[in-house]
Order: sequence, then C-alpha cells, then structure tokens
Amino acid sequence: MNTKKHILFLIGVLVIFMGTAYASQLKTANTYSTENEVLLEQTSTSTATTENTFVENFIEFISSTGFAQADWKTFVMIFISCILLYLAIQKNFEPLLLLPIAFGMLLTNIPLAGLFNAELFAGGHINWGNFVQKGGLLDYLYLGVKLGIYPCLIFVGVGAMTDFGPLIANPKSLLLGAAAQLGIFITFLGASGLGFTPSEAASIGIIGGADGPTSIFLTSKLAPHLLGPIAIAAYSYMALVPVIQPPIMRLLTTKKERAIRMKQLRTVSKKEKILFPIIVTVIVSFLLPSAATLIGCLMLGNLMRECGVVERLSKTVQNEMMNIVTIFLGITVGATATSESFLQSQTLSIMLMGIIAFSFGTAGGIILAKIMNLFVKEKVNPLIGSAGVSAVPMAARVSQVVGQETDPGNFLLMHAMGPNVAGVIGSAVAAGILLNMMT
Amino acid sequence: MEITQINWDSTLLVVAFGISMVFLILVLLVFIIKIFGLFFAPIVLVKKPKKKSRADNIPLQAVEEYEESHLTASCSAAIAMALHLYYDEDVHDIEKAIVTIKKVEKRYSPWSSKIYGLTNLVK
Repeated sequence: MNTKKHILFLIGVLVIFMGTAYASQLKTANTYSTENEVLLEQTSTSTATTENTFVENFIEFISSTGFAQADWKTFVMIFISCILLYLAIQKNFEPLLLLPIAFGMLLTNIPLAGLFNAELFAGGHINWGNFVQKGGLLDYLYLGVKLGIYPCLIFVGVGAMTDFGPLIANPKSLLLGAAAQLGIFITFLGASGLGFTPSEAASIGIIGGADGPTSIFLTSKLAPHLLGPIAIAAYSYMALVPVIQPPIMRLLTTKKERAIRMKQLRTVSKKEKILFPIIVTVIVSFLLPSAATLIGCLMLGNLMRECGVVERLSKTVQNEMMNIVTIFLGITVGATATSESFLQSQTLSIMLMGIIAFSFGTAGGIILAKIMNLFVKEKVNPLIGSAGVSAVPMAARVSQVVGQETDPGNFLLMHAMGPNVAGVIGSAVAAGILLNMMT
Repeated sequence: MEITQINWDSTLLVVAFGISMVFLILVLLVFIIKIFGLFFAPIVLVKKPKKKSRADNIPLQAVEEYEESHLTASCSAAIAMALHLYYDEDVHDIEKAIVTIKKVEKRYSPWSSKIYGLTNLVK
C-alpha cells in the first residue's frame, strides 16, 4: 500500500516538473515569436482564438508559479532547510533556534514570494528609499538583526536566566573563561589564511565563543553577507557540544586529573550578587566601550533577577520577551541564507573553521586549568576548563558527565558553571575587542 | 587572495592584542570580585561544641565559641532534594482512584480452546 502511495507521489511530482518545464519552454518560444506568427494568429478563427487564450492563460499561470522560476539551487536550499528541520524536530538539536532558522531558510528560497530582499541591505547599508515599495515581511523583521536589536534583547533574557553565583564564589573561573576564547583568535588567524577579509575572519572567529547572540551581533556589524552560514554554524556546533568536546577533554587530561574532586563552593551573599552586574558593567564598559552594548544588556537582565524588586520584569524578559525575540531572530537569520549567499565554497570553509574554533576553545580552557594546577594549592579539575566556551549550560553538563565517567561520585556541575558563565562575559569582551579593531 | 598577500603582521597583532585584552579585563575582574568578596561574603558561624575536662566535668571556657563553617556537598544535595520533594509535593504518588475495566477481546486459538482441553478426556 505504502509503495503504491510513494509511486503515485513520485509520478505526481514528475508531472508537475514536466508541466513546469514545458510551460517555461513555451514562454521562451513565445518571446522569440516573429511578426509573421503574430499575423497568422490574427487571421485564425474565433474558436481557435478562444482555445489559444485559454492555453495562454494556463501557460501564463504555470509560468507565474514558483516551480517555473526555480532552479537547482532553490531545490538544494529547500533540501538543506528540510535537513535542518529534521535535526531540530527529530534529533532535538537546539530546536528553539534551529527550527525558526530552518523555516526562515525555507521561506526565503521560495521563488517570487518576495519575503526577503537581500538587495535592500546590499553594501552593508539599509536602502530606505526602496524599503516601502519592495520590503517583504522578513525584510521588516530583519531590521532587528541589522540594527543589532535582537541579540541585545536576547542578552537581557540570558542575563536574567543566569546565576553568576558560582563565578562570584570562585573568581578564578574567569581565567578559564578567558582561555576558552583562544579558539576565537586562532580561528581568526586561520580564516585570514584562507583568504577572508579581516572583518569576515573576525565574524567567523567569533563562532568559537559558542555564543549565538554574540556571533549574530558581531557578524551583522562586520560581515552581514555571511550572517546565514555563520549563524547556522554557530548554532549547529553549539548543539554538537556533547559530541565535539568529550574526545578533546579525554585526550588532554589524565585519569588522575579527571578524578580531582574540588572543594565545595562558598555561599554568595545577595549583596555580592546585586553588586556584581553593576561592577562588571562599569569596569568592562569603561575599558572597552564597544562591548558596553552586549555586557550592559547581559548585566541589566542579571540585575533584574538578583535585585528581587522587579520580579515581573525579570519573568517577562526570561520568558515572553526571550521567546518572541528568539522567533524573530531565528526566522530572519534563516532568511539571509539565500541560495546566492549560501551555496558558495566559503560556506564549507566557515563550517570547517567553526569546528576548529570550538576545538581550540575547549582545549584552551583545559590547558589553562592544567597550568593553574601547577601554581595553586587547591587543585582544579581540568574538565571544568572546557566549559569556558559559553554554550550555557550544555558545556557545564558535558564537564559533569565526563567527570562522572571517571568518578561517579564527583559532582562538577556547579564548579563548571563558573567558567561557563565566565565564557559568556569573555566572548562578549572578545566581540567588543574585534568590533573595536575592525571598525 | 593568496596567503602571501595577507598582511600577517597586522593579523598577528590583532590576535596578540585581542587575547591580551581579554585576559587583562577578566584578570582585573578577578581581583575586583575577590576584594568585594572580602567585604560582602557571608560568614556562616556555627556554635562549637563545648569541650569538657575529663577530670571535673566543668567547661573549659565560659564564653561560647563559634567557627566558620560551610555545608558539605552531600549535605547541600540532601537539603535541596528534600526541599524539592516538599515543594513539588512529590513525596507520595497521587493515584487517580478511578478503576476502569478494559474490555479485552479474546481471539480464538486452539491453545486456549475448551474443546481441546485435557479435562475433556477425563470421563
């Protein structure tokens, strides 16, 4: 029964394609028709004219469908978006973002729909003059990405959902968060070697920060034409953190190091938690004004959470606002992945550099933790170093799981949360530095 | 663009400066957080058990002593679990108290047939 259905479906698809191809050919032939043919048409009988009009209308209709305008690239892009949808729905790969991204990709590649017009944002500028005439739904929503609004709003939500307690209790975690940013700069070097411009290389490098909003923020400022591939690489690899990190963690650590049990973290007072976002905002923004937007938004959200007097606002930014912005961000970032911009050899390079960025970031955190162990009295389990690559809380969970493989009674989760949230600050700082140097 | 055409000096400068700045800013934050921790970190004081001399069973010190203490990981986990169970009311399973008897269709099989039962042979 199923086989019959499949055969019928295939026949149906073939008929549509053949009809479309035939209609396109007829349309082309009509364009090149000579004047004699026009005269002949004029002398034909009225019945024939009626039939011709019907056929012409039908051909016109078929020609105006997306099928007639589609080329192989369109179908490849739709196929890729279907794979991403499958990964999001069936494999649960960062579904909250991958699903809207994949659907945005599907929408933008539908011919003649005009949902997204890349030419309105050509040259890195918004062509306001044509916006009202040509602008589609996704063009309007994309303004939030282009103007850097969505990533910042997401950062407010991330801040409101993050507990910096483990970081305040163990400030040394910040060093691990800094070391894990090594991947960003190594990838910057690699991407430059592959022939990308400094701005493009910086946007590719930031994938190593394993922080979606930061990647989107920096890329929308420095290399907006690479936004689609970079966002997809960043979110895909973030979902693959449990696959990418463990082999590197096992390779760089001994069994003895993995079994190190760390001292219980001290309790953190409410005053410390309230002062932390204020201090970090002031210090970082004064030193690096270009990072003020991201750090400021992150810390605003965290202050809302910790102060306890704006419970309603805190809940709103954590839930409703975060969800709405995630939908807009995902669908518009996906919309930038048009066949013209995505089906390029550089997309493969970006994917390759992305995994290198993640690997070096992971290695950087682990190696610094090992170096720290040479100098400090209370040993640090090097596995928590890998959590320095943001990806909250996935990377911390990976540290916990790999640690428990060696010693099931070793609980590293809270210790790993320190470098994990430090990684968010670290990647925002790195983005600020790159933004400052590239503009 | 070929690799030879890339301005490696400026690229390496960006890398070196970038890594240095990230470390500089975060190291500065480490020190500041540590300093703030000295002033604002909570000190949990737990009453020391009174020591009694073996000879006359009299307390050694009249004044009560306190020591700084933090809960162990196991204690924290146990307390967190207890609170979770208490607030989520998951301590006991709540049953629906609705009993339904499902109708089960019995399909014919010679294995369950009464005709071929062994008891039929006993007469």
